[in-house]
Amino acid sequence: MKTLPTGQYIPGDSFLHQLEARAKISCLFLLIAAVLGASSFWGYALVLATISTLLLLSGLPIRGAVAPVRRISWFLLIILLMNALFFEGEAVLASWGIFHLSRGGIEQGFRVVGNLVLILILGNLLTMTTLPTQVTTALESLIKPLKLIGVPTEEVAIIISVAIQFIPTLLEETELIKMTQIARGARFESKKLSERAASFLPLVVPIFISSFRRAEELSLAMEARGYRKARNRTKPKKAPLAPADYTALIVCALICLIQLLWRG
Amino acid sequence: MVLVEGKNISFSYDFDDSSFALQGVDIAIEQGEFVVILGCNGSGKSTLVKHFNALLRLQHGELRVAQIDVKNEEEIWLLRRLCGMVFQNPDNQFVSSVVEEDIAFGLENYETPRREIPERVQSALALVEMGGYEKRAPNTLSGGQKQRVALAGVLALEPEIIIFDEATAMLDPGGRQEVAKIMRKLHRAGKTIIAITHYVEEAVAADKVILMAQGRVLASGSPKAILTDLDLMKEAGMLLPLPVRLYYDLRQAGVHLNHCPLTDEELVEEICQLRSKS
Repeated sequence: MKTLPTGQYIPGDSFLHQLEARAKISCLFLLIAAVLGASSFWGYALVLATISTLLLLSGLPIRGAVAPVRRISWFLLIILLMNALFFEGEAVLASWGIFHLSRGGIEQGFRVVGNLVLILILGNLLTMTTLPTQVTTALESLIKPLKLIGVPTEEVAIIISVAIQFIPTLLEETELIKMTQIARGARFESKKLSERAASFLPLVVPIFISSFRRAEELSLAMEARGYRKARNRTKPKKAPLAPADYTALIVCALICLIQLLWRG
Repeated sequence: MVLVEGKNISFSYDFDDSSFALQGVDIAIEQGEFVVILGCNGSGKSTLVKHFNALLRLQHGELRVAQIDVKNEEEIWLLRRLCGMVFQNPDNQFVSSVVEEDIAFGLENYETPRREIPERVQSALALVEMGGYEKRAPNTLSGGQKQRVALAGVLALEPEIIIFDEATAMLDPGGRQEVAKIMRKLHRAGKTIIAITHYVEEAVAADKVILMAQGRVLASGSPKAILTDLDLMKEAGMLLPLPVRLYYDLRQAGVHLNHCPLTDEELVEEICQLRSKS
């Protein structure tokens, strides 16, 4: 069986695991706002302290929680360099043609990369402590207001649920197609970038075709079980938020507020 | 009581009716019967059963299933509750990554009250002997287990008729036995079972076998009458069951058994009688 690459749910019964998914997603958005709003030393100290506390509360291994950061470290380095070299700040330290290395640029680079890393860890904390289905149901109830502007929220929820359920199947299939291609001489492992890129196209086409076939079969199976679009289904369970959920929401809202006040 | 009654059903996948997947099919299935529809790929068996729950629209002929005219758009929804279907590929019928939520999908479609759902999910899982797997992800199960979960999703709706559309074709022998066992159990409990297959061994235990080839019903009758008919089976492009093949081979070699056996046990019995005679 294939597993999801990063941020996969790890079963547990920590404080974070027990929070309601709706509360966790709302807290995630509040904390992202707090991270983006941080501007001073104390601002960053506050978000860092918050995230460290969350890591402790999650009971997850630190290594797992920060794994996605390591995975995209090259991307982060490029962002850092781009900001450092192109940002038009004062106190230019050196220039080469269109590149200007400035103190402001370096600061800006570190801030953007720092924000990305923190947001990534926060998102990872959500997906590692929440079942995909809980995330789906929570999203469904959180996007419900969009129904007022004509978004078919129930359908969107089913689409998300089906998509998540098909990820392992499609990964398995990709692996299989890859092997059949390697057996016929494809060079996915080649050091030459051009060869590797060329070998991926014949991989994409069969996966697309098989996904469409699967989608067609699934739609038949869904119809056979009585699925009709634009029809009322049993409403999802309404789990009331627990006191712990409210506490988490209030704490996150306060952190967000403090951040904005310090900024202002 | 006749539960499925079709007359002169024809169907074409082409817009201009240039070639027919079904040609003038007549069919009658009694309530509580265990019917196996046997045929090669492209014989039209799958096309035929997709008419029973109106997944395919009836083009020519007449068809009533559980007293419902399949052409009646108003009642298609009720029809699909009464006539459940398990498909060939277990991976392409799940809508949720949690077993219990997937089984609840059909119940939610029929607006079953939320408080009744857990109990019905549990009893459906118990029927397919998969209790304890509620929280598992379907992709972590074996092929046979996946098909049993898919079947539980159908059984939760308490259908009268259960169609297995080549539901064992992608399973290993162990998985096929698991599903076959549940099929027999449901049949004993009074459900009408319609199983489509190209495995001739699966037809042996049926009440009735319908043999199809090139969009037509070649013959219909007891397993004994159909599966031991050398010419008929040859015309349908099917292999005979092993005991039947052995019976004909022995006859060619000059050894005459009293009756043509269908199962291994019957074969042993016949051979023993032969010995005691000589």
